[in-house]
Amino acid sequence: MNGAGAARPAYLDNAATTAVDPRVAAAMAECLTGEGAYGNPSSTTHAYGHEAAARVEAARAEVAALVGARPAEIVFTSGATEASNLAILGTARANADRRRHLVTARTEHRATLDPMRRLEREGFAVTWLAADRDGRIAPDAVRAALRPDTLLVSIMQVNNETGAVQDIAAIGAACRAAGALLHSDLAQGVGKLPTLFAGQVDFASFTAHKIHGPKGIGALYVAAAARPWIAPIVFGGGQERGLRSGTLPTHQIAGFGRACALARAEGTADAARMAGLRAALWRNLSEMPGVLPNSPLADGSPAILNVSFEGVEGESLVTALEEIAVSTGSACSSASGEPSYVLRALGRSTELAQGSLRFSLGRFTTATDIERAGDAVRRAVTRLRGIAP
Amino acid sequence: MIGEALTPLAREHFQRLAHGGCFAPGVAAVSGEAGRESIGTRVRFHLRLAGAAVAEARFQAYGCPHVLAVASWLAGELAGRRRDALIPGSPAEWARLFGVPDAKLGRLLVIEDALRDCIAKWPPGPPPPGQQS
Repeated sequence: MNGAGAARPAYLDNAATTAVDPRVAAAMAECLTGEGAYGNPSSTTHAYGHEAAARVEAARAEVAALVGARPAEIVFTSGATEASNLAILGTARANADRRRHLVTARTEHRATLDPMRRLEREGFAVTWLAADRDGRIAPDAVRAALRPDTLLVSIMQVNNETGAVQDIAAIGAACRAAGALLHSDLAQGVGKLPTLFAGQVDFASFTAHKIHGPKGIGALYVAAAARPWIAPIVFGGGQERGLRSGTLPTHQIAGFGRACALARAEGTADAARMAGLRAALWRNLSEMPGVLPNSPLADGSPAILNVSFEGVEGESLVTALEEIAVSTGSACSSASGEPSYVLRALGRSTELAQGSLRFSLGRFTTATDIERAGDAVRRAVTRLRGIAP
Repeated sequence: MIGEALTPLAREHFQRLAHGGCFAPGVAAVSGEAGRESIGTRVRFHLRLAGAAVAEARFQAYGCPHVLAVASWLAGELAGRRRDALIPGSPAEWARLFGVPDAKLGRLLVIEDALRDCIAKWPPGPPPPGQQS
């Protein structure tokens, strides 16, 4: 029931966002009211500020530990989107007079694609890599794309639609050998897969709300050695060692820190449990004909299962599924009015992209949720196929 | 788009999908269709005729909830209609009735095209009384 009451749909959209863990909410509450650490962490003249700054630094240490970084390498942002924008735009614009070539993949999140497109309009050259049918970017393809003037490569760890996992260590080695910087969006990886990438990537984006923390807070890991290569894109106050100005939201950061501590302590067990539930869901769904996986079943993220249903339109399928909350690759779920660009880039037909569902699991997903989902999808698919031409 | 709640009428028809499917093999019917899956909408109507009018209609459809709801409703409205007045109203009127977003109006045109295809395939019969020469 996801702690949300029996009448609500089973929540299987954890790749979009997760419920805040009550232990996280408790940590946040300690920073909000008159008795708590509500001061401005930048206020150095009184105890309120000192108390808030201490909470921020304690949280920074927890966030850093989750990705194997030093606390000084963590820059708090409003989320992974801002962190990716800072990494990409901040690095490119700071080095525009030296290197003007960037590399990324067509299957990246819009938080990477859109700043890359922006830089193309500003005169940078971007190499757009294609993924294989399972959504993987071959490290050799990255290596082949690198040029003497390549500044930055941006490849996400886990695809947010399919759960395909990239070999970040190998891609990082290729980049280091060529003298290029590597940014990785870890938003779907942290808390579910090993993310001790310090030393393998130069920049990494992640966010609290994908790991049962609050929305509105994230971080950019900036490796100490990469700090000279990046400049801020937001100005005014000089917080976060000059890289991200703006008053630090103590309660958000405290919640992020607690969420990271919980992910470090419980993430491995959570991931193992999710992998079992994901496998059970696939077993159930795959008993139906015309059901095709868009996720790598053997080595994809334990938290994401993307499936296409032949002969069924995604928006109708989602609307018929009142008992579960999932997302679809249907055109109607996108601002562009086109079906999932990720699934299309993987070679799926428009029809299969239209008829796709993404089930994404979290810490609070139960076996009952999975059974409900399987049964509900079977009923809805059978019904919609029954009226299909 | 997803997230835009269906109106109560659209939801009722989407949930029931009355008149869905086709007639049993051997039942003579006029069928017309339009659209294709790759554009997100495909609709087919089957009309069982009795004399010069529709005795019963069924529909088959691949599409969004609004398309299915409108096609289901239309199938129920076709009984008793003659070839020269088969289509009840227009896509714009259906859009208003079912609260269909403007961006989806093209999908309702596909439904209309399927009905026009039925008209085109409707076998010629004796002219209506009063028009005989």
